[in-house]
Amino acid sequence: MEFKDYYQILGVAPEAETSEIKAAYRRLARKYHPDLNPEKDAEEKFKEVAEAWEVLKEDNRRAEYDELRRYGGKHRQHFEPPPGWRSATGGDFQHFGGDFSEFFQSIFGGGFGEGPGGVWRQFDARGQDIEIQMPVFLEETVADTRKQVNYEIPAMDRDSLGSIKKTLNVTIPAGVTDGERIRVRGQGAPGQGKAPPGDLYLHIRLVPHPLFDVEGHNLLITVPVAPWEAALGTKVMVPTLEGKISLTIASGSKSGQKLRVRGKGLVGKTGKGDLLAVLKVVMPPLVSREVQDLWRQLSEKAAFDPRAGWGSK
Amino acid sequence: MATTVLRIAVSELCEQDELSHSLLLEMVQYDIARPVAGSSIEDWVFDATTAHWLKKALRLRRDLELDWVAVAMLIDLLRERERLDQENQQLRHRLGRFLEDDGQ
Repeated sequence: MEFKDYYQILGVAPEAETSEIKAAYRRLARKYHPDLNPEKDAEEKFKEVAEAWEVLKEDNRRAEYDELRRYGGKHRQHFEPPPGWRSATGGDFQHFGGDFSEFFQSIFGGGFGEGPGGVWRQFDARGQDIEIQMPVFLEETVADTRKQVNYEIPAMDRDSLGSIKKTLNVTIPAGVTDGERIRVRGQGAPGQGKAPPGDLYLHIRLVPHPLFDVEGHNLLITVPVAPWEAALGTKVMVPTLEGKISLTIASGSKSGQKLRVRGKGLVGKTGKGDLLAVLKVVMPPLVSREVQDLWRQLSEKAAFDPRAGWGSK
Repeated sequence: MATTVLRIAVSELCEQDELSHSLLLEMVQYDIARPVAGSSIEDWVFDATTAHWLKKALRLRRDLELDWVAVAMLIDLLRERERLDQENQQLRHRLGRFLEDDGQ
């Protein structure tokens, strides 16, 4: 295994004071903490930084590491602890429930298995929770829906951290909303030792619909209407998630105006939302001279200035 | 078929994360989490979304050595950012429908 230079990881000199190392850790932890940094490799970087701090923050552990560093400096790529090595400072490690590198475990324990100094103590730690994005179509929120989930869980593959692909069938309950999380018990990363696995969290993301938008439990649909339909009023057939309905557009309607149809929205925990039909007045193409003449007549008779509100300046 | 659950009881939450009642009470007092049911701490039930933020708060407090006030503010801001990102995406999508060419 490769020797880990914790000083280099934290960007400090080997003779740095603990306060300086602490400052470096804080800066890097803030930068790479996976709860603050969504980048893919942030978690791995944070683990490295946290592991380095875990070792260097305590004088005794740091002294042990320094000793090994002097020894391991000659064998960077193929490091093995000296024969008979056993740490006197292993113990209560804080980060990631003991999820440390093989290098760390070979020196300080905190894992389980056969080590150079004998059998390490068994380490029980619950598996990590895993969160994945779960795309859900609007139509699938109307009733309980069964869906297949494919995801990867981290797993040790001999000496290195790999992943296992997993497939699950889950039920997405009716009425889920965008951004909501649902839990699948015991389907996260496996636990260490005798500890149970973590949970899988599904972060619900509603897939954009070709016709509908979502506002809470209300559905919005943009209804294109011709200028004369808006002016004179009409009835149009409007799609909902459960078939078409007839919608009356009053005369003198405006673009952007919302018409509410109660109970035709999404299923919510406290009842159904509404459908909001948003009118959008669209212009027809100028297909003939005759139509153009009719528009001209209208402009002369209507005497309408849409920019009257701008004033004369 | 794996069982999906929308809620998590306090006993399970505490067992999972080695979380004490007093720590949980602090998080509720700082408004990091709000139970959806239960009148006493032993009966509290949280929804899965709150459990997600609660676990995040625990990790941030431990790994960044923050106090609860800082954690509460951070969680507030992270939640708000998630909500605004979501809203921004939805509004952009809606605006797109209105701005697209009239030729459809």
